Amino acid sequence: MTINSHPTLPEFEYVKPATLAEASEFLASHSVEARPFLGGTDVFVRMRDGFLTPKFLVDVKNLNGTNDLRFDPLSGLTLGAAVNMNRVIASPEVQTHYPLLAEACRSVASYQLRTRATVVGNICNASPAGDTIGACLVFNGVLHIHGVNGPREEPLAIFFLGPGKTTLEAGDVVTAIHFPIPPKGCAGTYLKLGRNQLSDLSIVGVTALGHPDASCPSGYRFRLALASVAPVPLIPADAQTYLANNSITPESLRETARLSAEACSPIDDVRGSARYRKEMARNLSAKALTIVWEKLK
Amino acid sequence: MVKTNTQNVPSPIGESKPRIDAREKVTGAAIFADDLQFGNSLLHARIKRSPHPHALIKNINITKARAMPGVKAVVTGEDFPGYIGLYLQDRYIFCRERVRYVGDPVAGVAAVSEEIAEKALDLIEVEYEVLEPVLDPELGASPKAPLIHPNLGQYLVANFIFPQPGTNISNHFKIRKGDVDSAWEQCAAIVEHKYRIPHIQHVPIEPHIAIAKVDESGKVTLWGSSQSPFAQRNLIAQSMGISQSDMRVIAPFVGGGFGSKAGVSMESLVVAIATKVKGHPVKLLLTREEEFFTAFVRQALVAYFKMGCDEKGRLLVMENTFYWGGGAYTEYGVNVTRAAGYSSSGPYEVSNVKTDSYCVYTNHPVGGPMRGFGMPEMHAGLEQCIDELALQIGMDAVAFRKLNCLKTGSILVTGSKMHPTGLPQCLEKVAEAIGWGKKAPPSAPNKRRGKGLALMWKAPAMPPNAGSGAWVELAEDGTVNVGVGGQELGQGVFTVAAQMAAAALGVPYESVRIATPVDTRYSPYEWQTVASRLTWSMGNAIVNAAKDAKRQILDVVAEDWGEPLEDLDIVNGMVISFKSEKEIPLKNLVVYGLPKPDGQGWRGGPVIGRGNFMPTYVTGLDSETGQGERAVVHYTTGAQAVELEVDLDTGRIEIIKGVSAFDVGKAINPEMVKAQMEGGFVQGMSSALFEILQLKDGVLQNPSFVDYRIATSSDIPKDLQAYIVEVPQDDGPWGARGIGEHSMVPTIPAIANAIYDAVGVRFEGPPFTAEKIYLAMLDEGRSTNDKG
Amino acid sequence: MTFHKINVTINGELEQVVVPSNMTLMRMLRESLALTGTKNGCSAGECGACTVLLNGEPVNSCMVLAVECDGTEINTVEGLTGDKHFNLIQEAIIQEGGVQCGFCTPGILISSYALLKRNPNPSEDEIREALVGNLCRCTGYVRIIESVKEAAKRR
Repeated sequence: MTINSHPTLPEFEYVKPATLAEASEFLASHSVEARPFLGGTDVFVRMRDGFLTPKFLVDVKNLNGTNDLRFDPLSGLTLGAAVNMNRVIASPEVQTHYPLLAEACRSVASYQLRTRATVVGNICNASPAGDTIGACLVFNGVLHIHGVNGPREEPLAIFFLGPGKTTLEAGDVVTAIHFPIPPKGCAGTYLKLGRNQLSDLSIVGVTALGHPDASCPSGYRFRLALASVAPVPLIPADAQTYLANNSITPESLRETARLSAEACSPIDDVRGSARYRKEMARNLSAKALTIVWEKLK
Repeated sequence: MVKTNTQNVPSPIGESKPRIDAREKVTGAAIFADDLQFGNSLLHARIKRSPHPHALIKNINITKARAMPGVKAVVTGEDFPGYIGLYLQDRYIFCRERVRYVGDPVAGVAAVSEEIAEKALDLIEVEYEVLEPVLDPELGASPKAPLIHPNLGQYLVANFIFPQPGTNISNHFKIRKGDVDSAWEQCAAIVEHKYRIPHIQHVPIEPHIAIAKVDESGKVTLWGSSQSPFAQRNLIAQSMGISQSDMRVIAPFVGGGFGSKAGVSMESLVVAIATKVKGHPVKLLLTREEEFFTAFVRQALVAYFKMGCDEKGRLLVMENTFYWGGGAYTEYGVNVTRAAGYSSSGPYEVSNVKTDSYCVYTNHPVGGPMRGFGMPEMHAGLEQCIDELALQIGMDAVAFRKLNCLKTGSILVTGSKMHPTGLPQCLEKVAEAIGWGKKAPPSAPNKRRGKGLALMWKAPAMPPNAGSGAWVELAEDGTVNVGVGGQELGQGVFTVAAQMAAAALGVPYESVRIATPVDTRYSPYEWQTVASRLTWSMGNAIVNAAKDAKRQILDVVAEDWGEPLEDLDIVNGMVISFKSEKEIPLKNLVVYGLPKPDGQGWRGGPVIGRGNFMPTYVTGLDSETGQGERAVVHYTTGAQAVELEVDLDTGRIEIIKGVSAFDVGKAINPEMVKAQMEGGFVQGMSSALFEILQLKDGVLQNPSFVDYRIATSSDIPKDLQAYIVEVPQDDGPWGARGIGEHSMVPTIPAIANAIYDAVGVRFEGPPFTAEKIYLAMLDEGRSTNDKG
Repeated sequence: MTFHKINVTINGELEQVVVPSNMTLMRMLRESLALTGTKNGCSAGECGACTVLLNGEPVNSCMVLAVECDGTEINTVEGLTGDKHFNLIQEAIIQEGGVQCGFCTPGILISSYALLKRNPNPSEDEIREALVGNLCRCTGYVRIIESVKEAAKRR
């Protein structure tokens, strides 16, 4: 029943490995006691509150490639793990090819926090409220992970297991997230409902991305991802399928939004009630889809 | 005191001089309490706190904690038997026998570092016997509720506070005026409502901090972020059994107070701990989380209003019952109950009033003074009822208020008469500025627009004999040093103090310095920096001190020049004679005096002016009827109006325009007065839209900025206007009275009334969150989603 | 707990500081270097009172470890007071009345300074967005926003 908060960060050892191999080795051999960190904006807060008690904090910034933001017109965007959100927002390549990602980053916290916060960190924190996760999902992000057995790739779509739980194993360091070139004619938006006009964590967040797709009966494919409505970032598959198969009208957009809300299983918490979240999931989905549709047509 | 003379206002009164402390604040040089450097002997304190809202303490074992390396002292309530409190002594410094809220201090540790002190807390073993908590003030007031203070009858209490021993009621204030029962029959419209106002908090950006050092002889020095250095000296000295003169309080800049740093809260903890480590300063800095659940909160309120008017819309009768959620200790909050009671008619003339205002103990955090001192909580419901009554009788809300609001000479709910007031002008001003009666179209099909307004009044709530002192001394270069006991919280009091001293003495503003930090050893007495009283009270003291200094100066010069006093004055730092046109700069005489002619000696000497002010005319109020000749020193009145939009898809509100008008008597520094109106509006708006301490079973669920939301730069309206109305206060310096609190009082009901105008829903209480509004519209069939 | 010796340039001066792993930049500035202009309002990255420049960009110094600052450049309100663009904002905030208690002020000034550097002519919305991480309880933000506009004009 006591409210925890330390006046300072609890004691720990700061470890800065020189290479990825060193990082993975250290993390694997201290699996319970060591935790990697990038910007620290989630980790430090949870440590001070007493929820995380690592003995070792392993700084995985500045390892091979983690500081790079590289765009290739054929293969897409590789966003290093240590690239902070302000850099993502300011990047001309992101603004041109993945504007939804910049929009999502911009909704996070404050300018000061975004100087430290990273997209990969947001993903690894695996909060269902993560603002940038939706954009990463709809852009088909693939995580580049370095583990004890060397590098591997993992699609973001299968990465989240529960609140704060991912498929990462001891020794794993995410070094980057890669996005393939988006489909031609993409348009997207991220709508975030917080308590304040800006900043705040989302009560509900809706990411929507749409593009022309001849293989769909409706002529368009839409991707949706919802934040803060389920234990993990939620992709309402039925809603997406429905809109792929039915011509785009105000009614079908509304129906898609209803299906989107139906897929949600929100909880009551200090930020909002389940009932309100369900309503907002629907309303914001409708709004987001409408915005994207207006951009597309 | 200065008689109001609106024709002859000397410079720099009425001028928007730049802040006297601005430069040090923008360079980072301004010293706040946590910036003070104490060297290697500094110890750090942390507090062991109750995890239960209500429990008996069966046993405390501090041996392991005390034995930890680096720990220098561990104290419990056993060491400190004295009670402490401002109006009612119902608190121990550390709990003895019983804990009464989650966070109640049970033990304290001093150690060489904050980390060691924090770790030592885990080694303190406390055994509790959990008791049933009281979590609602109305239930707490009922005879069946568990007793939180069984010894209430033995507590020392001020003679204008009426606790009910054997209950949880620590004060019961009554108004019995006229004949309420018969008056209902004459009403053409009656409105009856219940409101529930939650606990919220001040949230100064600087958390509470105090450092205490006790020397070998037992003399105490306390540094802290404090609105009340002298009250802290008095109350802590009394509780610890030492002389006030042996308790020195030094108070640097305060990083926001709003009432949270008034009276005594965490300061007594660190003084107590320091007695065990004599010679060492001991610092206690609250974490932000501790701020939220252990520092003062604003009282909660369950309020029942019933009011009626005749067919012409004249208010005839009001019946009010207030159950104030005072929290675990109501040593300060009992006066909120009283203040609300004697203000319970709102700023209206009503001949028949029955009010019962109860201060009720609950096992929630401690209710203390917060900006408005009961007025925001009370007006929140009252001003909504006024709107509803106007609607029922078919009158426009502005016209209804125009008819009923207080004017000069109105008879008040306490039976006294209203002094000259600009309330009608304030009402007119905000109605005009908000475009009352004109409906602008919403900015989008899914939005609804509404306008609402509210009036307010408030008097400084304080004992009848709260006083101020000041001294004025000059240096060899002619600069003026002003000693004050009031504190700069950001409201600008040092600036207006300098302006008033400059005007009363006759020197330029730029040559005045305020003697800071306030130090009870050297600074003159000031009751507390609360109640929006300093410009008026401390201002009067400063003017008196300046006039005293001026008199000393002119006496010397008059003698030296052989001219009568009436022909002399001080202008711009020079003594001048209107008659002979002689002049002499102040600096030539204020320290060394003037030589007599022919080497015959000297006149004068170091000039030191003294002045004080204490109201002498406040009478008591009858304990049964609440009637009295003059209940308070004066009222500041005012009005606010808002225009807002409700987003039908989310329920979220956007405030488009906010307008304030307050009668401040005389704006000593107009831009700073407007800044108070702006800041108060935003804090009021924040309390209306976002703020609530979410307490569940007595445990705070949102003890951090993450989930206790306050207004950010993105939330304020694009158009925020502030208007000054000046109907002078007879005994205020140049007619001035206070503004600091008032601008936060009408905001909740103004917004509530605007929400009703926009979407036709009302609520039991704030915050009017997007969720509340959306679900209310949904449940009433009003939500339109995408249908426009 | 390990202590780390770091080299960090603070307000243009190279400092060598020994810091424990768990010390934040904020605490290093305030406690190890007595640079108390940077304020501690929450230690949780929410209020912005601790905002400083790290390699030219605003950060909440309570959310950065001191040891992470090895080899970096830090600017605080004390040092920036020598910068003419910073002075413009300081003068503007005094003139517009955007200072009351002063506790949020250093953070506000730094966020504003950084904004005007990257966006010399910000719109009102851009100013609000840039300052959303700096909480102020006294002013209601009105005069702070005006002072940024005024400083932009004077640049």
